[in-house]
Amino acid sequence: MTFLKRYLIPRLFQYFLVIWLGITVVFLIPRLTPNDPVMRMIGEMRGRGSTLEPGAMDGIIRDLTQMYGLEGSWLDQYWAFWVRLAHGDFGVSFFQFPTPVNKLIATAIPWTLALLLTTTAISWIVGNIIGGLAGYYSRKGWSRTLDAIAMVIRPLPYYIFAFSLLLLFAYVVRWFPITGGASLGAIPSLSWAYIKDVLWHSILPALSLIILGGAVNFQTMKLFVQNTNSESFVQYAKMGGVTEDRIVSKYVIRNAILPQITGLALSLGQIFSGALITEIVFSYPGLGMLLYRAIINGDYNLIMGITLLSIVGITTAILVVDLTYPFFDPRVRYN
Amino acid sequence: MSKRMGRREFMKLLSYSAGGVILAACVPGPQKSVEVEGPATKVPEEVADVLGTFPRRETLIARILTGRVGSPDNFNEWVGWKWRDRGTQNLANEPLWSVDFATGNIIPGAAEGDPTYSPDFMSLTVPLRKGVAWSDGEPFTAADLVYTIDTLMKYDGFSAHTFFVDNVAAVTAVDDYTVKFDLKQPNSRFHTTFLDRWGCTWIMPKHIFEKETDPVQFAFNPYVGIGPYKLHSFDPQGSWTAWEKREDWGKSPTGILYGEPKPKYIIFQYFADEGTQILAQLTHQLDVAELSADGLKALLSQSKTSRAYQPTFPFVVNNDPCITGVLFNTARKPFDNIDVRWALTLAIDIVEYTSIAVDGSGTLSPVHVPHLGPYPADYIKPMQEWLKSFTIDVGNGETFAPYDTTAPKRIADFARSRGYIFPDTQEFLEQAFGLGWYKFAPEIATKLLEKNGFKKDADGKWLLPDGTPWKISFMCGTVLSNHDARNAAAAVQQWKKFGIDAEMYTTENGDGLGATGDFDVSGAWPAQEPWGAGPDLYRVLDRWNSAYKKPVGERTQGIYSRWSSDAMDTIIKDLRETDPFNNDAVIALGIEGLKEAVTNMPGIPTYGYIGFVGWDEYYWTNWPGSENPYNEPYTHWPNFKYTTPFLKSTGA
Repeated sequence: MTFLKRYLIPRLFQYFLVIWLGITVVFLIPRLTPNDPVMRMIGEMRGRGSTLEPGAMDGIIRDLTQMYGLEGSWLDQYWAFWVRLAHGDFGVSFFQFPTPVNKLIATAIPWTLALLLTTTAISWIVGNIIGGLAGYYSRKGWSRTLDAIAMVIRPLPYYIFAFSLLLLFAYVVRWFPITGGASLGAIPSLSWAYIKDVLWHSILPALSLIILGGAVNFQTMKLFVQNTNSESFVQYAKMGGVTEDRIVSKYVIRNAILPQITGLALSLGQIFSGALITEIVFSYPGLGMLLYRAIINGDYNLIMGITLLSIVGITTAILVVDLTYPFFDPRVRYN
Repeated sequence: MSKRMGRREFMKLLSYSAGGVILAACVPGPQKSVEVEGPATKVPEEVADVLGTFPRRETLIARILTGRVGSPDNFNEWVGWKWRDRGTQNLANEPLWSVDFATGNIIPGAAEGDPTYSPDFMSLTVPLRKGVAWSDGEPFTAADLVYTIDTLMKYDGFSAHTFFVDNVAAVTAVDDYTVKFDLKQPNSRFHTTFLDRWGCTWIMPKHIFEKETDPVQFAFNPYVGIGPYKLHSFDPQGSWTAWEKREDWGKSPTGILYGEPKPKYIIFQYFADEGTQILAQLTHQLDVAELSADGLKALLSQSKTSRAYQPTFPFVVNNDPCITGVLFNTARKPFDNIDVRWALTLAIDIVEYTSIAVDGSGTLSPVHVPHLGPYPADYIKPMQEWLKSFTIDVGNGETFAPYDTTAPKRIADFARSRGYIFPDTQEFLEQAFGLGWYKFAPEIATKLLEKNGFKKDADGKWLLPDGTPWKISFMCGTVLSNHDARNAAAAVQQWKKFGIDAEMYTTENGDGLGATGDFDVSGAWPAQEPWGAGPDLYRVLDRWNSAYKKPVGERTQGIYSRWSSDAMDTIIKDLRETDPFNNDAVIALGIEGLKEAVTNMPGIPTYGYIGFVGWDEYYWTNWPGSENPYNEPYTHWPNFKYTTPFLKSTGA
């Protein structure tokens, strides 16, 4: 009962409050910017050379405002948003009218999840294991070599690094495709041929994220381990004759990994924002470009749809970390 | 008996749960909300290889200009924006008429000729082309056009609804191939709503749309048009759209006019990054790339099979029907003053200006239409004597003739000094650099400003007549390679040199701020883009109509300079009462309109829009380059379909 009353319920209340506040802020911010979706659409049509008769402009603006559901006060729109959300509906995209936001997100999200969940997990696991070992054996030659490599890779701007991979593996040696999530002509199906094709296209984007993400995890874990290694309880274990394997796995890495677990949870929560630059360099499908385009075009409903996922993702990750931390760190107790 | 869960058990449970959630998340779930019905796209059993489903030697691959298609399964082009350059406008649709800015001609597609107006412009008849069929085999007739107009007027969700409701009293099929429009008020340019210039009113296939209860929500998938290509397949992510040559291509206007299109398949593919476009063309995976100036240089230096629009400097496509430059907000002081606008014009050294903006590769125009298509012959050359004799009042009885015929030669000399090699013929120099521009005359600009109470402070910075520092905020978009930003960068540098505190202001909301007049100076085009074909300048001049002007704060319906004049209103009125096909009369009025615009200079025309196209000649040749401009050069323009019969396969 104490756990529920003093820990779980306040945190659940905080969880829902943050989500509500986040959604309300995201509802307001696009409307406070001078980016008017109706004028963006007219600007797009005008910019592309379409003939919009000057005399008909007021009528076009009126019709678009009506179609987009932007009539009425902000309070009316806010209420309508929550009513729609209660039915699991984000409405239609303004810029891709009349395509539903749900459909746009459902089309893009498998690509983002598949790419970022995999790469986040791999870069975290590999970076932390190697970083942990390199930190413990920091005086060894291989540890210093790995550290030097990470020092070179980590400061590289992601765009430059990703494009260099593309240049090397897609242009010079031509092992991988230059662009896209699948080959021209490939239509999604559960066939092995399609899955193989998608995997082939995902290798370079994944590699770019894993190497840079892995380097970050490597360096931070190495530092954590080096700090932990100098703690007195580790020194005491060494003097007490505890085997080195046990010291590494049970004493050092286990303690050093705690902040990395928090970092992993936050990284997983941020996945729903997509990987914009990866999507640009490799012309890869996903939520990043969808969100970017929605912001540029003032596509309120689409912005709401994607950011809602992101807000829920991050707050849920924080809640899960909060609730599960005692299982990772026995020193933490709810009471 | 209860059992406490240990940390190890919890961790296992957490791992399994997380794995389950990840797998579940990767499986597309059921969708709610509005669903559009339509036949599914073709699904090959195996993954299509570009050398399999689309044999490369029979396939042409071009980049889609407007980015990843956001609604790939929706082809209802009559509602909102549907990424029409993914092949819909350029291959599958045929309008009544198209502009060809390369030749200056208007091409009748679905129409068999020009429309005929009644003398009072209260009605017109349109002759339709015979022998045309939709891509599903149904014949194309007057009933389709009549149905389209009736449907657009019936549903207010269509983009063109208001225009047709405001203008059309009745539309009737006189016979199977003649349509008559009765208008609500005289409108001598009504037909231009069907004139394709990167968008116009398209014709719906009646036999398909009439089955739909809500044609606004109808996805129209697969697209059915009268163009020479039909939809083959598309990526649900919007990365590419593939089109296949119709077996009955001879029943498309393109086939009837120009013969058989050569590529069997044409694919429009999305590239998010210029670098990948270059790599794709270097590996012959992209036939047509659209790049930046630096991107084109990089491509040409690396590729043995790529070419640009022009074989020598300036390489660029310089015949896009659009004049770039500087636009003043004449509703805001001090830009409401003609002397100030002219002073800012004369403070520009056009050689330096075009060097900063486009490395000297733009074609100059001294008037508010670009130097391309019919405009040099119809307007810019005939106006030379007037331009030479045109003077501005500097004050104290002094006048100044600002026109400078040496400007193009000075730009050519500058380009040569940078090592560029190009022909030295008068014809080439005119085509590449134009016929003239305005003098760099800072001393005259100073006199014009001083005449109006401006003065300089001790640091040589200009002060407004009230003694406060003169600051100019130059508004442009956030994409700095676009021509609004290029003009902004060049103008700001020139005006800073002249002593004005000028700065660039980038925004994503240029249209909103422009329409409501919340800016000083903008990189928006200084005049409405002309049609690019035919001599009629009504489209340009009418945007300066005082009837469209609104007070600052309200959205103007005219051009964002908010400039108008009684003389221009009179010219527009006369033009409205003139038959658009009476070329002599139209040109005479157009010249008067351009003179009025130059005299008042509500925006400074600088150079014509330029594009940077890279064509790969590995698989396809006979592109419409500057040495053989048989059609406009862009693959994203509607007339690209008229290029397809002229392309030649190399057989590679």
